[in-house]
Amino acid sequence: MPLILTGLNHRTAPLEVRERLSVAEGMIPTVVNALRNLEGVEGAALLSTCNRVEAIVSANSEDVISTIVDFLSTQAGADRATLEKHLYIIRHADVVKHLFRVASGLDSMIIGEPQIGGQVRKAFQSAQELGTLDPLLQQVFEQTMRVAKKVRTDTAIGEHAVSVPYAAVELAKKIFGDLRGLQVLLLGAGDMGELTAEHLHNQEVKQVFVANRSFQRAQELAARFDGEAVQFDAIEANLAACDIVIASTAAPHFVIETDQVTRALEARRMRNLFLIDLSVPRNINPAITNIEGAYLYNVDDLQSVADANLEIRQQKAKEAETIVAKEVESFRRKLIAQDAVPTILELQQRLEEIRTCELEKCLRKVGPITPEQRAAIEMLTSQMTNKILHYPILQLKDAPEEPEERETLRRTIRKIFGLG
Amino acid sequence: MSFHATDTLYVALAAYALGTLIALASLVTRSKRPQHAALLVMIGGFAAHTMWIGTICARTGHPPLTNLPESAAFLAWTIFAVEIVLYIRYRVYAAAFFVYPLVLILLTLAAVIGESPMQLDPALRSNMFTAHILLSTVGVAGLLIGLAFALLAYLQDRSLKSKRRGALWEMIPSLSICRMVSYRALAIGFSIYTIGLLAGVLWSYRTNAGFMDFRVKQIGAVVAWMLFAALLQMFISGTFRGKRMLVVSACAFVAIMVSILGIAHV
Repeated sequence: MPLILTGLNHRTAPLEVRERLSVAEGMIPTVVNALRNLEGVEGAALLSTCNRVEAIVSANSEDVISTIVDFLSTQAGADRATLEKHLYIIRHADVVKHLFRVASGLDSMIIGEPQIGGQVRKAFQSAQELGTLDPLLQQVFEQTMRVAKKVRTDTAIGEHAVSVPYAAVELAKKIFGDLRGLQVLLLGAGDMGELTAEHLHNQEVKQVFVANRSFQRAQELAARFDGEAVQFDAIEANLAACDIVIASTAAPHFVIETDQVTRALEARRMRNLFLIDLSVPRNINPAITNIEGAYLYNVDDLQSVADANLEIRQQKAKEAETIVAKEVESFRRKLIAQDAVPTILELQQRLEEIRTCELEKCLRKVGPITPEQRAAIEMLTSQMTNKILHYPILQLKDAPEEPEERETLRRTIRKIFGLG
Repeated sequence: MSFHATDTLYVALAAYALGTLIALASLVTRSKRPQHAALLVMIGGFAAHTMWIGTICARTGHPPLTNLPESAAFLAWTIFAVEIVLYIRYRVYAAAFFVYPLVLILLTLAAVIGESPMQLDPALRSNMFTAHILLSTVGVAGLLIGLAFALLAYLQDRSLKSKRRGALWEMIPSLSICRMVSYRALAIGFSIYTIGLLAGVLWSYRTNAGFMDFRVKQIGAVVAWMLFAALLQMFISGTFRGKRMLVVSACAFVAIMVSILGIAHV
């Protein structure tokens, strides 16, 4: 049965096209049901994220492609010709490969990003709940989730932060391990600082303190992180209490000096202090890096961590592609073999019927024989039928990839052996 | 072909050698798969090692602690047992690079010297002596593990400071965990080692009518004890960092090794 995937993504369509086709979460059941009810569609699922919209169906024939394109055009409220320019249509084993790659993050804008795995799982689960999956699509999705998990576990592709704020979180984890229970001090209201504080907040740090020249702005920011606004002049008192300090002010001079950090570390009984300087010009005296127990990273340092991680991800992506290729091949073989099972069983049954019928006839003519002689004849005839079936079964199991060719082969074999 | 206790010791040795080799090779490949393979091989060796200890216990009626090879083998066994526990708890891959070779060296020492298990001298057959040897060995294992993690903490600290990732970056847990495990292992190891030494002193007093007779191992043990005491004090005061940490750790390691090797001269 043909598998067909029709869709568009960040590489084939600009945002204004993607957003028109994008399906809001609440609307997914309606759209998936409508897709499933199209003529010729046996099973359907829909993947809609901010970077891609894909309709995945199993159908009786490839004729449904045109219907699906029409359906998507209607959904997008665009004329077919315009939408077709951005659409890609993937068939059969390539659909499996595509899904394996997408769920593993290999087709994402930021290679290896982990969210897509969850989004594919969600698409699978919602189609499953709606009952729109046929056994083939069910198997394909189950295998997709397994492969995505294998890729992530074996290559650890998503473990390396590729943006400055995430690189800061990664380093904080390298220093402190678990970030829960830590206190963060955010100085200034620069965008990057705010974003870093937000990522740290999402890691469930204990408390975020915000200091800004404008106390009102500090209060607004603190409210975002359920934190506490502190006076800018009281930085030193907070240095000792905080484990991570993010400086992101517009001040043209250092706001944190070496002696302040030395005193803070003494007060902290030498517990480590992680200082992140995201400002240009720098706000934290670079000499602080020489103090034991203080770890200072500026925006360039973090950028090079992110760049190095991107390189690692690209290397891991190569390993991941090898895993995907292997998995696609083994899944393809499994599907083909599975497809051939009914015909193989019928073939075996048919030849067994012929064998037993002819054997009985022959034995009636021959007259009484010993049980040993009967066993020998039984064995001879069984071996003959097995030998006759050997090549047809092999052909069925190792059938061509194209469903049409496979169907022709199946029909031919059935015809030769006189199966109904 | 008859099966001797030493056969299991050689099986353990071969497995440890192979496991260590695979672990060190993973430094080049930087992947976790050989690390898992190495751990499995090492666990195989550990099983053989355990069988060997069991055989000796069954045959002599006491743990294999009567001479240097036996003590070294028992120490190796204890260290690896602690390593397995720490691996399960913290998934520390990098500890393997220090712990596996250490275990291998100690067991090689045991196999090369290979004295036959002694029937204990009646003078040594006392609960105090067994307590002394057993506690000292377990204490030393704790101290050595503590040093291995202190080294990991040092390497992690250096790569964080220099902003360059070494081959071990991915395999070393966070700085906090390294320091915490190191501190706990040192503190627990030190306490047990202290009780072990006290038991030794008391036993010596009873049998030799003197607390100490200043042989190499005794001097080594006392120096090691003092160095570890200093090291713990530095840890608590937060000054156990950087080069100083490395130097004191190296000295403590040498002292403890001297006291172990000194066992040969009981």
